[in-house]
Amino acid sequence: MMRRALSAALLGLGLLCLGVLALLSVTRRWPWPVLVPTELHADQWRELFASESGVGGVVLRSIGMASSVAILATAAGFVSSRGVARHPRREGLFLVLHLPFAVSPVVLGVSLSYFFLRLNLAGHIVGVVLAQFILAYAYAVILLSGFWNPQVQALSGLAVTLGADRTQVWLRVLLPVARPLLMLCLLQTFLISWFDYALTLFIGGGRVSTLTTALYQYFGSGDVRLAATCALLLLAPPLAAIALHQRLLSATVAARLEA
Amino acid sequence: MSSTGNGRPSDLWANITVGLVTAPVAAGVAFMILYSIGVIGLLAGGFTLESWVQVLADVRTWVTLGFSIWVGGASLLTSLVLALGIHTILGAAPRRRALHGLWYAPLAVPPLVAALLSVEILGNAGVLARLGHALGWIGQPLDFPSPLYTRCGAGIVVTHVALVTPFLVLLFDRLARNERVEGLTEAARTLGASATQAWLRVRLPVLMRAATPALSVYFLALAGAFEVPLLVGAQYPPMISVAIQRRFSQFDIAMRPQAYALATLYAVLSAAILFLVFAARRRRERLERGA
Repeated sequence: MMRRALSAALLGLGLLCLGVLALLSVTRRWPWPVLVPTELHADQWRELFASESGVGGVVLRSIGMASSVAILATAAGFVSSRGVARHPRREGLFLVLHLPFAVSPVVLGVSLSYFFLRLNLAGHIVGVVLAQFILAYAYAVILLSGFWNPQVQALSGLAVTLGADRTQVWLRVLLPVARPLLMLCLLQTFLISWFDYALTLFIGGGRVSTLTTALYQYFGSGDVRLAATCALLLLAPPLAAIALHQRLLSATVAARLEA
Repeated sequence: MSSTGNGRPSDLWANITVGLVTAPVAAGVAFMILYSIGVIGLLAGGFTLESWVQVLADVRTWVTLGFSIWVGGASLLTSLVLALGIHTILGAAPRRRALHGLWYAPLAVPPLVAALLSVEILGNAGVLARLGHALGWIGQPLDFPSPLYTRCGAGIVVTHVALVTPFLVLLFDRLARNERVEGLTEAARTLGASATQAWLRVRLPVLMRAATPALSVYFLALAGAFEVPLLVGAQYPPMISVAIQRRFSQFDIAMRPQAYALATLYAVLSAAILFLVFAARRRRERLERGA
């Protein structure tokens, strides 16, 4: 009985949150103290995608940036994680890999902004992607280090014994075996960039607009309806991933917890 | 890589890893130190500890640091108590298919969206205030006891708790399986322990011991949080990340060395805590291996 009540309460809270955002995104008037909006319309959605500096471009830019970060971090992280996992001082290396998360993205952004400015990367998409890559790469190495267990080592050893060269071991043995974990890593590193606000703010310097910066701008200017519309766009990819790939998410969390 | 064939298999990629992660952090911290002591930067006029003295002597610095630790600790502790309670009540339910997605949903919510939801639900004109008015409990928005924008940081804590608790429930579920907590609890009950004793002396210590490293890193992340305090925090006291951002973004460029001094102070403190967490874990593992 208690379990059911608790589950129902949690489900209700989740639906309330989504419902509030969905309502706000189609609200024209919602005066105090009425419980539901008195007028609805779809202008927020039209405005977001129709205006010259519309969010349509921002969505595409955010997707492009997050995809680049995810692909770069996962590819580099996969190769590096092997060296880290087998290194005699891997505990120390793991400590180093946790540093960017411990010092907070704001400190990372503030400390890097000067170098990015000197390299003409501040205020540029490439600069923001590179800054996000530092966090995503560290995360990818931590996550993928768990892959290099004795079974995988034995498997690649067996392939070499059977005549496979190094390229074949990577392409025909390691990549197929690691595929599920690589998919998880791609999703997680995509989200690191997709959710980022601090690094985009400090490295982008207001000239690189993403969905998170757009949300903050709308919120700051008092337009919570457009902010809610941006919030729904931000939630869409990860929620779709949960709906479509529950098992993938389950494994992602497991991997994250183990990392 | 193990097949480099030079007898030092892991060094190349380990060095690359360290370089890609440490170099930017170390270079950034070195730059902040040099800027804050007047060696480099637009205002560089030779070595001086003036900004450090100003930052360290400013009571607001310590209030900000104390407030960040308070918010991080309160958020984590509240989430911990809730997650342990939910985990005890639900048992294996989070693993069941119907509830599965529900537990993962908060992981899909970025802090900015969580803060926006807090404003719209817990704010003075939010959903709960409207509900309170409909039930006749309040007459106007200001009558609603909103936790947002309060000096004690209640709104930040509530928002963090909503984000963190589901993750901790999943963490405890996972750890309970790895550590075979159900079996241990059952053994304790068979040996005569009451349900409360089994919970307090078996389940809780086993789960907390296994969760401590993850919780320590989580504490650092919560104490250094930026987006949630930016949206639902009071003007004063600010959390450390917001305080750094404010000093850094001020029109008065003379404040920048102080911003870098404050950021360096926080970076060193959090790195030291991380180091202590890793050292403690290593020591414990060594002791366990020895035993």
